[in-house]
Amino acid sequence: MIELAHLQILSAGLFAIGTYGVLARRSAVLILMSIELMLNAVNINLVGYAAFVDFDEATRSFGQVLVIFVITIAAAELALAIAIILRLYRNRSTVNVDEIDLMKW
Amino acid sequence: MNNNFLLLMPEFLVTGLAFLVLTADFFLRGDRKNFLPYLAVLGLIGALTFTLIDQWDRVDHLYEGLILIDGYALFFKAFFLVLGVIVVLSSVEYVKRNLDNPGEYYGILIFTIVGMMLMAASGELLTAYISLELLSFGLYVLVSFDRYGAKSNEAGTKYILLGAFSSALMLYGISQVYGLLGTTRFDGIAEALSATPDISPGVLVGLVLIIAGLGFKVASVPFHMWAPDAYEGAPIPVTAYLAVGSKAAAFALVLRFFVEALMPAVGDWQMIIVIMAALTMTVGNLVALAQSNLKRLLAYSSIGHVGYLLMGVAALAAVGDDGRVQLQLSHLASNGLMLHLVAYGVTNMAVFLGIAVVYNATGKDDIANLAGLSRRAPFLSAVMAVSFFSLAGLPIFAGFVSKFYLFNAVALQGLLWLAGLAIFTSLISLYYYLNVVRQIYIEDAPDPTPISMPKLTVGVMGVLFLAIIFLGVYPVPLMEAIQHASDALMSSESPIGLSQGLR
Repeated sequence: MIELAHLQILSAGLFAIGTYGVLARRSAVLILMSIELMLNAVNINLVGYAAFVDFDEATRSFGQVLVIFVITIAAAELALAIAIILRLYRNRSTVNVDEIDLMKW
Repeated sequence: MNNNFLLLMPEFLVTGLAFLVLTADFFLRGDRKNFLPYLAVLGLIGALTFTLIDQWDRVDHLYEGLILIDGYALFFKAFFLVLGVIVVLSSVEYVKRNLDNPGEYYGILIFTIVGMMLMAASGELLTAYISLELLSFGLYVLVSFDRYGAKSNEAGTKYILLGAFSSALMLYGISQVYGLLGTTRFDGIAEALSATPDISPGVLVGLVLIIAGLGFKVASVPFHMWAPDAYEGAPIPVTAYLAVGSKAAAFALVLRFFVEALMPAVGDWQMIIVIMAALTMTVGNLVALAQSNLKRLLAYSSIGHVGYLLMGVAALAAVGDDGRVQLQLSHLASNGLMLHLVAYGVTNMAVFLGIAVVYNATGKDDIANLAGLSRRAPFLSAVMAVSFFSLAGLPIFAGFVSKFYLFNAVALQGLLWLAGLAIFTSLISLYYYLNVVRQIYIEDAPDPTPISMPKLTVGVMGVLFLAIIFLGVYPVPLMEAIQHASDALMSSESPIGLSQGLR
């Protein structure tokens, strides 16, 4: 039987993996994918709370609406980030964040 | 449920203006595009007039408290619209010379103003988050607007990666708050927090993540790493906008969030904010000492100023001896915070406008590049010197009054050591500001040709110059407006009748 705790653990785990990815990956695209993982962890968390906690109807549907907003904004953010990274690639021929070091300190 | 959509009229107007600018750009050819910024300015002034007339003394809310219309929101809406006018006017020359696609530039700039206005008005976490993203998305594009400039791309990439990361952190916090408190409305959060004396660890994690996300947006240490790069790489007017606009909007949100939602839990977050403030002003001002690029110097100086502003947040309330939340001094702190935002904003706009003029003439933005500027452009040099004095907090300039008020509020709240640290770091900052002034006035110019400025730039600069002095000498009118905004924020008759439970 799946309970709230399972979803919370899944979500927290996914969030932690995403955070690790953001900190450890070298490629800008992989960092973006890790951020997507974090956002999906948020979605699982929201859906889990909405489904299992004893909320009234309005609060419950608010959680689910929140998920749709998060998905939409995440998609927009991703599109924007890819566009900017693409420009970077055109100018510098690399998306490795270690080599993007014109500015330091 | 009756929603008076006319309450959103200012936002509608500004959004319409953004589309109008984008459409006009489509139909105008060649030199005619120079007309776009004036269209934007006229529109913004129109929207400002409408907002002031329509929402003066109006207290209301929309969508059951998701969007709040009150004096506090009005103050910031007016501030952002005025700021928008100044940014557009100071962009004219720079955009004409250095950037393609002026239509998109001004259009996106105006969209971000909508985001900022909504941030000041939101009374709920999801609304706040969406308006924050509306602001941030525009800024990501503006920062990387110089498409062929390697620095601009680099700045944009760093900004969007860290910005997306921080919004993920903040969203996880929001989901925790939603799940464990059952609401994301500020008044609901305050109610739930004051109902239980001990906050559960889950909620605490959520709140800390939200604070971390907001910390990224205001660029406070330890979440400041994106700021210097984004500031240095962005086109100069955008840097000014980042330094003033996005910071003011984030603080408008932070102030409302902390006052209306987190006040009952002040014992839990005050120490976090105090530590963040102390670190932010120390690191910002110390690292600024080592900079040779002017924009980067100002980036670190703005991080230092974020430290002072965070100090104002920390001083919002205290836990008394009887364990109850004390709010007597909240007014002082929030007044000080808003005053410093305005004074810092006006001053910074003047500095960046000066940098843009020098950049237009020489193509460089290093400190060494300012050498002998006083012989090349006396008026420009005077304005920049006054602005740097104001940033450092020397008397008779705006920065002195606001710092004095803010530090005083912090000291009265009992955080004397923090106020002391702030004064000490201000002294450090005086060193690197004066270093720039020394370049301007004492060093010899390698190339003594005078720098000519367009009339428009001279005019904007003159207005900012007068504003810096006026605010420093006679801040009473502004203080009254700010007091009004603070009252609206803290009064128990705020739109959805909150915080009665507190006192």
